[in-house]
Amino acid sequence: MPSSSVDTFLASSVMILLALSAMVGTSKLMTPYLTDLAQRDDTGRFQHLASHLLLTTGTPANWGQITSSVPSSLGLAKVSAPQPYELDIDKVTRLNSENIYSLAYSELWQALGVKDASFHIEIRTLFQLSIELVSNSTQGSQSVYEFEITASKSGLPISTRLSSYVVLRDFVNETMSSTSSDGVGTFEIGIPNSVNGTALLLVFAQATVNPQMASLGTYSFGHNSDDPLPNGTFARLSPLDYVLNATLNYTTVEVSKAQVFTFSYNFSLSVRTQSIHTIEYSIPRLLDASPRVMVLTGVNGSTSFAEFVAYPQVPLQIGASFSESIAGSRIAVYRHTVAINSALYEIVTKWGGLSGDV
Amino acid sequence: MAMFDRKGQIRIIESFLAIAVVFSAVLVSVTFPSAPDLSKQKSLASMGTQTLMTLDTNGTLGNLILQQNWTDIKTALDILLPTGISFNLTICDENGTTVNAEVIQNSNLLGREAVSVQYVCATRSQTVRFFVVRLQLAWMG
Repeated sequence: MPSSSVDTFLASSVMILLALSAMVGTSKLMTPYLTDLAQRDDTGRFQHLASHLLLTTGTPANWGQITSSVPSSLGLAKVSAPQPYELDIDKVTRLNSENIYSLAYSELWQALGVKDASFHIEIRTLFQLSIELVSNSTQGSQSVYEFEITASKSGLPISTRLSSYVVLRDFVNETMSSTSSDGVGTFEIGIPNSVNGTALLLVFAQATVNPQMASLGTYSFGHNSDDPLPNGTFARLSPLDYVLNATLNYTTVEVSKAQVFTFSYNFSLSVRTQSIHTIEYSIPRLLDASPRVMVLTGVNGSTSFAEFVAYPQVPLQIGASFSESIAGSRIAVYRHTVAINSALYEIVTKWGGLSGDV
Repeated sequence: MAMFDRKGQIRIIESFLAIAVVFSAVLVSVTFPSAPDLSKQKSLASMGTQTLMTLDTNGTLGNLILQQNWTDIKTALDILLPTGISFNLTICDENGTTVNAEVIQNSNLLGREAVSVQYVCATRSQTVRFFVVRLQLAWMG
C-alpha cells in the first residue's frame, strides 16, 4: 500500500473523529442551556396563569352563584371589581370540598384549559389565631372561662383588636379585647349554669394597623356537659349566594336558631325554605371587613350542638398534590394578597407539569 | 515519493491543529456565564407592587405616611409579605427628599440580590400630597 494512501486514510479518520467529537461536545454543552430555557419559559407561563386565575372572572362571569354551573373557563375575580385581585366570595367558596356545591379538581382543571399544567390552590387568612382555655371557675350562678389568644404569622406576633362571641343554645355573649405587641391577649367569658351543652367560642381579630387584615378562630367546649362532637356531626352547612343551606344528618335533629357573626355584628338568620332534611336561611350582605361565620344551634335528643361554617368558606386547599412529584422537577409557587368582601386573605398557587392526580 | 510523505504529514498536523482549535473553542464557551434567571426577580417585583397596591387600597398607606407612623408601615408589610423575604422601604416626597426618619426594614439586604419597585402614592387628605415609595425586596438565605 502506498504511503500516500495510508496518510489519506489516517487524515480522513482524524477528520471524522474530529467532526463527531465536535458534534457530541456541542450537543452535550447545549443540552442544559436548552432545557433551562424551556423551564424558564414554563416559569413565566405559570406566573401568567396564576395572574390569569386571579384577575379574570371566568365564563360565565357569575359561575360562582349558579349552583348547577361548571365554568367553561376558570377565573376567580369578582365581576366589576373596583380593584384588581378582588375575588368573588362564591367562586372561592365553591373551591371548598366541604361545600355541597363545590367543584372537583378535574372540573377546575378542564375549565383552566391548559392540558400540560397541574395546579394547587390554598387560601387562608393573613395571620393565624390560636385559642387556649387557661382556666375555668364557678362564680355565683355562672362559670367563668378565661381564654388566651395568640395572633401570629409564622411566629411573628401581631397586635390586634379582638371581638369574641360565645354561643350556647340561645345564649350569646360578646366580649371585646386585644392582643398586645407580643401577639398575646386574654379575656374572660361568663356562661350561666342554668344552661348546659356544647359552647362555641368565635374569635375575630383585626390587625390594629389595618382592619382589613382580619383573622378568625373557633373553639368548642362542653359547658356542664361532655366534650363536644366534631363540627359537621349533626348538620352540613353550605353557604352560597348569600343563602345558607343546612342539610341535617339525622331526622331527630331539632334546629333552634341560625345566626351570622362578624367582627362588629351578629344577627339571627331568617328561614327561606324548609323541608325534612334541609333548611335554607338568607344571609344579610354586611359591609364589615371581616370573615363571617354562620352558627346553627339545636339539639339531637338530649345532645345540644353548635355547628358552624365560615363564609367565604376558608381555609381551603384544592388541587394536585405536588408532594409526590418527581425529584428535581420544577414547581412554581406564587403568593398573592387578595380581597374577598373587603377582608384580605393570602392565596398560594402552586404550578407544575401534569401529574397523575387529575 | 518523499513529497507525498510530506503532504501526508502536513494533513495530520492540520488535523491536530483543527482539533486544538475546536477544543479550545469548546473550553472557552464553557467558561462563558449563562444568562441570568430573572424569573425569581420578576416574581418578587410583582409581589412587591401588589403589596403596595393592597396597602394603598383604602388610603391606609398615605395616611400612615402623613402620620409618620413608620412602625405601622413596617408591621403592615410584615403581615402582607410572605415570610422569607427581606424588605427595605424608602419614602420620598415630590422633591425626591427621603421623608422616613426611621429605617423601615425587617432585615439587612446587604449582599443579597434585591429587586426594587417604585409606587406613587397619593394621600386622600384635603391637600393632596404625592410620595414615591420605593420597596426593595430580596429572598432570605
